[in-house]
Amino acid sequence: MGVMSAIGDTVAANRTALMAATCGISRLQMFPSRFAGLMPFGEIKTSTQTLKKKWNTHEPGITRTMLLALAAFEEALTDSRLTTAQIQSPRTALIGASTVGGMCLTDELYHDANKTEDGSEYLSSYDCASVTLFLQERHKMHGIVNTINTACSSSANAILYGARLIRNGIARRAIVGGADSLAKFTINGFNALHILSPEICKPFDQNRKGLNLGEGAAFLVLEKGEDVIGKKIYAELTGFGNSNDAYHPSSLSDQGDGPYLSMKEALIAANLVATDIGFINAHGTGTENNDEVESKAMVRLFNEPPPFASTKSNIGHTLGAAGAIEAVYSILNLEHQEVYAGLNFTQPIPATGLQPVQAWKPMPLKHVMSNSFGFGGNCTSLIFSKV
Amino acid sequence: MLYIHRATCISPQQTFPEVDMERLQPSADNKLKAIEPTYDGIPPGILRRMGKAVRIGVGAALPLLHHEPAPHGIIIGTSNGGMEDCIKFLNQIIEYEEGMLTPGNFVQSTPNAIASQISLLSNNKTYNITHVHRGLAFENALIDAFMQAKEHPAQHYLVGAVDEISTYNYNIDFLGGWYKKEPISNLDLYTTDSPGSIAGEGSAMFWTNSHPAAALARLQAIDILHTGNEEMVQQRIQRFLSKHLQPKEKIDLLITGENGDNRLLKYYTAAEATVGAKIPVARYKHMCGEYPTAVAVAFWMACHALQHPLPQHVFKHAGVQQRFNKILIYNNYRGVQHSLMLVVKA
Repeated sequence: MGVMSAIGDTVAANRTALMAATCGISRLQMFPSRFAGLMPFGEIKTSTQTLKKKWNTHEPGITRTMLLALAAFEEALTDSRLTTAQIQSPRTALIGASTVGGMCLTDELYHDANKTEDGSEYLSSYDCASVTLFLQERHKMHGIVNTINTACSSSANAILYGARLIRNGIARRAIVGGADSLAKFTINGFNALHILSPEICKPFDQNRKGLNLGEGAAFLVLEKGEDVIGKKIYAELTGFGNSNDAYHPSSLSDQGDGPYLSMKEALIAANLVATDIGFINAHGTGTENNDEVESKAMVRLFNEPPPFASTKSNIGHTLGAAGAIEAVYSILNLEHQEVYAGLNFTQPIPATGLQPVQAWKPMPLKHVMSNSFGFGGNCTSLIFSKV
Repeated sequence: MLYIHRATCISPQQTFPEVDMERLQPSADNKLKAIEPTYDGIPPGILRRMGKAVRIGVGAALPLLHHEPAPHGIIIGTSNGGMEDCIKFLNQIIEYEEGMLTPGNFVQSTPNAIASQISLLSNNKTYNITHVHRGLAFENALIDAFMQAKEHPAQHYLVGAVDEISTYNYNIDFLGGWYKKEPISNLDLYTTDSPGSIAGEGSAMFWTNSHPAAALARLQAIDILHTGNEEMVQQRIQRFLSKHLQPKEKIDLLITGENGDNRLLKYYTAAEATVGAKIPVARYKHMCGEYPTAVAVAFWMACHALQHPLPQHVFKHAGVQQRFNKILIYNNYRGVQHSLMLVVKA
């Protein structure tokens, strides 16, 4: 596994920060935006130039999103101990996810799209696929390569797509994940929808005021059980569900059919019942709409939901990276038999009265569910199980 | 195995709702724009808010959804989704210096808006996904449908592809050298010895499942590859055919994505050489132009060619044969994203 977020640039650093209830959401320092002084973001305080130097990427067209992805990807590769031959094998798939891609370069994109001057170095770097293609090219990968964009559930879907390639015998192993960086495009888009919080987000709190956007990346290496004998196995992906809420382009239905169905399908796929789930890493963005609908859907499925919390209070909403980062966090829950605090919670939502976990604590866990719900009604739930 | 039962295509040619490919529609300003239907199935209030990519995607999908049962998944490939809306929103950000903006363009611009609008309009709460892997977005959507049909043999899946020409992606790709600088007509696409192609757009949708009865076509196999080396492409084609055809069995038509870009011709020449000189070769980008999911038109054309004769203008080398049973599609996007699809009579 590899992860980079506002609370750390390795898996170990992220775990330490989660245990200490660290909040990485703060005022913008790295890029100029009218919103810099107005609202907080889960920004990674390392400049794009520093990242380029660190990873020795001096070719033209490199974007911040590519660099965040690279950091997480390299950590995951090192951790997996895959050989170069295995990485380059036609049987190794690479599935990436992003919603912003290279659109973090607002000014460059503006000039190129409106042809105001000669083309910039970024002409092939704006789309979401550019991030995955950068990783593929750098490692000369020859298997199935794909990029998924289902808004905020993108990298959760990258994980389930990689797992299905392996189950169907199309790939022997899959490197799956996602990356997004902060961009004026998403900041202004979410602001226009009035769902950005002027203060640090409070997932599942009655007085929540919206979400904080964040940035980051995570990648995971999925292998078949018979291929990992003698290797460290973090967890097994036992179930996944993907469902569409089919209600509204940018909000969830009151009854939460999409979230309910994705969680239910994941349980069925994992051959588990609701009471088997020990902890839920909730989508929990901190918006009025999401947290209430997700709470109701949890009650509808679980009756009395298991302990849950949202790590978006630590790192913000990292959009296309969120599903993969939270998959890593869910796996840390299982590996270390512990749960992390949902921050800034004081009062429950009246409709459900649910309270997230509010302090780090050890907890015996066999199965952890991770939720990712996105615009366009795209809902995905994953279940990771202790091996 | 994935069986294709119904197919629709909104393209720059007369392909929707009736198909008449004999009379070739000409390009204008190095662009081939989709001929849009009247969209009777979409409520006018919703239609007005849709960008072109969403409109042609939903427009091609809805007729397939009028049949029972409802699909168990909506699987879309699009490189850019609603690019026009995307840059309109970006332009507002720059021009109003991040002032108060309306979210309409932002919401419409996300690539998953096509699949989600199809779900919304058909009240479909099943599997819903959008593959955006540039020149292999449609192929990945097909691989997804291929797996779904195997995982759930009793179910049906809608799979398709959409991309639009917007002023903005035309500008970006023009600056990148992917469109011809000199004005040409699509009728001369394959005879101009210069870099770049002409721009195109369109959508194609397919109703698929694992049942052979009354199917239009069967997707026997699909493979994708990233490389800039034509020998590697040749090896992959050889391996693909020997794996998926019986010894002595041959394809009877090769459809290639030749697009008039003289830098990419070597790949298509290599593909033709690999399948053998006697195999008829057809091309399609003079009908739809070049765009990341143009290969969906080739897939639609292959399904069509298993049932109907093809117009003469598609043939690079025609044979005596008029009806085809085993078609190989080879496409590449910008010389680095390659795909192979074996489409056979069901």
